[in-house]
Amino acid sequence: MSAPGLRSILAATGVSAVVLAAMPWLLPDFWLSLALTCLMYAALAVSWAMFCGATNYLSLATSAFFGIGAYVTAWGLTTLSYPVAVILGGLVAAAFAVLVGAAVLHLRGAYFAVLTFGLGELVRHAVTYFEKSYFRTVGRVIADAPSSTTVYLTVLLIAAAAVCVCAMVRASRLGLALAGIGADEERAQTLGVNTRRAKILGFALSAFFAGAIGAAIAVRWTYIDPTAVFNPFIGFQTVLIAMVGGAHTLIGPLVSSVVFSLLTEFLRLQFPYAFLILLGTLLILLVLYLPGGLASLLQRRWARG
Amino acid sequence: MGFWLDLTASGLITGGIYAVVAVGLNLQYGLMRIMNIAHGEFLMVGAYLTWWAHTALGVNPLAFLPVVMVLLFLAGVVVYRVCFLKITRSAPSVEVVEARSLLIGFGLMYLVQNVAYLVWGADLRGYSFLTDPVEIGETRFTANRLVVFAFALGASLALLAVLRFTLIGKAVRAMMQSPVGAQLVGINTATLHPVVFGAGLALAGVAGALLSMVYEISPSMGEPYTVTALIVITLGGLGSAAGCLAGGLLLGLVEAFGMHFTNPSLKMLLSYGVFIAVLLARPKGLFSK
Repeated sequence: MSAPGLRSILAATGVSAVVLAAMPWLLPDFWLSLALTCLMYAALAVSWAMFCGATNYLSLATSAFFGIGAYVTAWGLTTLSYPVAVILGGLVAAAFAVLVGAAVLHLRGAYFAVLTFGLGELVRHAVTYFEKSYFRTVGRVIADAPSSTTVYLTVLLIAAAAVCVCAMVRASRLGLALAGIGADEERAQTLGVNTRRAKILGFALSAFFAGAIGAAIAVRWTYIDPTAVFNPFIGFQTVLIAMVGGAHTLIGPLVSSVVFSLLTEFLRLQFPYAFLILLGTLLILLVLYLPGGLASLLQRRWARG
Repeated sequence: MGFWLDLTASGLITGGIYAVVAVGLNLQYGLMRIMNIAHGEFLMVGAYLTWWAHTALGVNPLAFLPVVMVLLFLAGVVVYRVCFLKITRSAPSVEVVEARSLLIGFGLMYLVQNVAYLVWGADLRGYSFLTDPVEIGETRFTANRLVVFAFALGASLALLAVLRFTLIGKAVRAMMQSPVGAQLVGINTATLHPVVFGAGLALAGVAGALLSMVYEISPSMGEPYTVTALIVITLGGLGSAAGCLAGGLLLGLVEAFGMHFTNPSLKMLLSYGVFIAVLLARPKGLFSK
């Protein structure tokens, strides 16, 4: 594969980030919020692919991390400033990932997927119970939210950071270790990779970005409750975007996050059920006929031409 | 005394349903490594078919049970042919089969659930069936709950008997022990796999039909049962039908007692707690040697 070098990826990300940073002054509100959704899923999918694409672990915990980040903002925004809340959201999610990862990352396949899915539900029920019994509320209103420009720029920054970190991880020893685990975990172990540490580190790193995105985007909703922020759809959509794009690549998840966010925004509101039926059918067809994702089409063309 | 009996009985009744849901999924997973995460969706289809037959055509839900079984069996054979045959043939390793079947399962889940929303709408549906109370000892049950328990237990035991005493059951057990060895002695995967997949869905349909006699149904009812089924499989051990029955009843009891002594909104927390504890302590199931 003729992958572009690390330096050119970082440069390209920087240039695109600068261009995209001008959008709040150029685009009308509707398009800006659309761009925000694209950036959110880009960051989620890229950071998911960083760990799961390399190691072949199918994690559905994204919604758990996202929701944890959102609740850090909901609880902390009255006392913390917005940037601190975002960073803290990421850190709490990462810490949670370390804890969980230490316990369950020795599992593989369906068990891991189901367990991480259950994790989202577990945290959701725990938060609901906690809120109900200690604060006697179901949801929370977020008062004095920052302006939509601030939110947009913050999410853009996180997305750009996710892409850069993902590119750097791929080029690092950690990235090689993760790819080695994906290919054959026992062999990686025999060759001296501390697989346990590599997996926990990778899992926590990808959780950091999901948590930070959750914390950053929560202020846009003004009212949040556990059902909304721990929505399993966020986790499924992330997996779907990354797999459709090609979880082994960097560009695949980016492209497909834009395509999917546009599709979702336009179709889901008008034809909610038909949209999800389409999504399901698409997923089945994709797994059957294009298991490497859209990026594998590109690679095939490069290899030929 | 009556209070303990009451809790035990309601735990066993829920547990019986859990066992039927789980045993089908366990067979599919144990035999083919297909993790059909849309299992609960087919339970929902079974429930809606029964509801529809009862309210629109006036058919007795119990008499309709065999029809649900046949319909879902056929659906299972078709789903296997269309969605899963290709990946079991083309995937390079068992792990890849697992991952891809999981994704296809998610696709099916979206597909089936939303078709149900389109066809039947999002409202809760229900009908009353055999709601007269029956007294056993000092406790009162509605008759439908007893019928549901009897049928759930009957279905599980019938499956166990099929696995133990018939030729096809022997083939299935052999296949689980050693796929290559079973093929060497002439067991045909091409017929066995679709049949077992169909049987799994038929059992899910039966569970759904039974549930519709007791609870209200909705298109999103299936997903919690899929998760519960996975917990039961973990408890009982992969590929073990008897373990599934025991695990299902056990989980039903744990939930009933746990909910009574803590708080009803902690039900999911309890189930997941059990799930994680068992995965960590005895990943091969409670009853493994």
